[in-house]
Amino acid sequence: MSVGLEQYLLLSAVLFTIGLVGALSKRNAIIVLMCIEIMLNAVNLTLVAFYRYGGLDITGMVFALFVMLVAAAEVALGLAIVFSLYRSRETVDLAEMDMMKW
Amino acid sequence: MDYWAGYGSIALFLLVALIFGLITIILPKVLKLLGLVVRKPNAVKYTTYECGMETIGPSWVQFNFRYYIFALLFLVFDVLVVFLYPWAVSLRGGGWAAFTAMAVFIAVLLTGFLYAWKKGALEWR
Amino acid sequence: MNWWLLSPEITLVAFAVIIIFLDLAIQRKGILAATSVIGLLVAMVFAVGLWDKTGVTALNGMLVIDRFSLFFQMFFPGVAALVVLGSTDYASRFSRFKGEYYALILLATTGMMFLASTGELISIYVSLELMSLSLYALTGFLRDPKSGEAGLKYLLLGAVASAVLLYGLALTFGITGTTHLAGIAAAVKGMGNAGENPALLMAIAFIIAGFGFKIASVPFQMWVPDVYEGAPTPITAFLSVASKAAGFAVLVRVFTVAFLSPGWLSQDWAMLFAVLSAVTMTLGNIVALMQTNIKRLLGYSSIAHAGYIMLGLAAIGSAGGGGLGQNGILFYLAAYGITNLGAFIAIIAVSHRLDSDLISDYAGMSQRSPLLAAALALGLISLTGLPVSAGFWAKIYIFNSAVQEGFLWLVVIALLNSVIAAYYYLRIVKAMYVEEPTSKESVASSTPVKVALVVCSIGVLYVGLLPGAVLRLIEAASILL
Repeated sequence: MSVGLEQYLLLSAVLFTIGLVGALSKRNAIIVLMCIEIMLNAVNLTLVAFYRYGGLDITGMVFALFVMLVAAAEVALGLAIVFSLYRSRETVDLAEMDMMKW
Repeated sequence: MDYWAGYGSIALFLLVALIFGLITIILPKVLKLLGLVVRKPNAVKYTTYECGMETIGPSWVQFNFRYYIFALLFLVFDVLVVFLYPWAVSLRGGGWAAFTAMAVFIAVLLTGFLYAWKKGALEWR
Repeated sequence: MNWWLLSPEITLVAFAVIIIFLDLAIQRKGILAATSVIGLLVAMVFAVGLWDKTGVTALNGMLVIDRFSLFFQMFFPGVAALVVLGSTDYASRFSRFKGEYYALILLATTGMMFLASTGELISIYVSLELMSLSLYALTGFLRDPKSGEAGLKYLLLGAVASAVLLYGLALTFGITGTTHLAGIAAAVKGMGNAGENPALLMAIAFIIAGFGFKIASVPFQMWVPDVYEGAPTPITAFLSVASKAAGFAVLVRVFTVAFLSPGWLSQDWAMLFAVLSAVTMTLGNIVALMQTNIKRLLGYSSIAHAGYIMLGLAAIGSAGGGGLGQNGILFYLAAYGITNLGAFIAIIAVSHRLDSDLISDYAGMSQRSPLLAAALALGLISLTGLPVSAGFWAKIYIFNSAVQEGFLWLVVIALLNSVIAAYYYLRIVKAMYVEEPTSKESVASSTPVKVALVVCSIGVLYVGLLPGAVLRLIEAASILL
């Protein structure tokens, strides 16, 4: 057996977990945003793998396309909020975001 | 055993990468030991770049955040264009419905662009 | 393709664009609020007009127009209109970007309306993000660092939650081979027992986690108090009512349409929701006891209410179909929505004048502003669930649906929780009416705020005294396609 659906799903699960752990443990807001991107790309990999190996119609590809678009919008908004916060706080460290306790 | 056969090409790739890396590290040492190359250091050789400009100041500087605004605008419009590709490929089958849909989509994008323009986000202030 | 089916949403998007351009063109910003209220009411009228056209799908089954979605297409614009009215005073704090504020509220509402009417996974994700992105921006709207911090926390946690949800949706798509909920139902129906389908269970767990964030269920509730405290108060009201209702709407649709049969599956998630419900309401209520900031207190109280509403989901799963549980959820959302809005609009008015959200500053409010105090007291009484208020019937109805399905233990926990909740709600009422004011200065509010308050209070009393009409509306609305 060659590299198939199973391997891609495994890879995307590993990527997703890396992203999730990073997003929940990193202190730098920018890095957290990058980890979220990793999670979304892991999902995209899952979708495209299902499209390629699942014998399904083009839906998986279209789904991945929409996810890419939404991810771009999300990261743009996230960066915008980080910058506006940076201008008033001079930091992007989440541990210092303690005006209200988490 | 059959299961792992698919990984053979990856293993081969890794092996080649490893060997190539090792060769590039070991070869100069071997040549030096054989006396085929001579070590003659000088000031120019030890600069950061042997060609091009000298860097001025530390390279870890913070960029003006206005760059980010342009980058963000670019990112959004750039990624939205991704929809144009499948649309262009399937335009023949989609007919007027597909054309109208894309026209509306681009009109919405244009609205966003006009908004950003009018708000002065495209100006360097 | 009949574009009239999409008329409520198209109206809102068009009005959002109009508002943005009006904002560029005109100086008198009062017109913007008026325009957005008009837009929301027009969308509501379109939704009412569609009431008889039920059971239609649009855009190749991506959107389902049934009574259930039309109910929410009337509910969300109504809530948004009240929020806009309630924020007219508050909006003077935004030095710039007033147009964007109203436009973003309209876009968030559009997302919620799509979310309530989607029958397909891709459009669920896209409309969820349309709602969420608008709300992230609105949360961080104020210039002060607290609002920015709230916005950042909401965005980061929300993005993680939606990524988890998305993974669940992608797995569901892979397992069943379709993104249409009806097709998923057909594919899931034939599946064997739980042990044979770990991937499906994992997908469902991810989906519950993702939506659990939106409805603020434990253990995905940690963002609520911070975001509620930091966000502009009208947006806090909007979050606590509309975004929670949108989360429940899509949960009900996904679980009653796609994952209802086979029986073992719905029994499984019914028990999961029952446990989550018990933990959520208990945690929300107990932590709310210790709060000194009224926005944080209502944040924890909204967590507790999410717990009560999840009783309905447990009942749906256990019964293997909509029925009582679904009616209970719709009724509770309507009653809770109007109650919480009333309370929040009163708080907006007070916090705008006093620039404080501390409960101690509400002492003697009945002497400083009788109208605000009365409206807030009515809201708190209804949140407690005392008779003659909307909250009473909502609790009775949803508790009954759970008892019918044998969740007696859960309803006992819920009743104990209601007693705990009564303590902290009525403590504020006591402070407003019994204690002496710290200052004699009266707390004034503008006409639109008063209108919104009166509408909410009348709504609470109307549902409390004559629940029959609303119940009939909801029974008509609870037919899902």
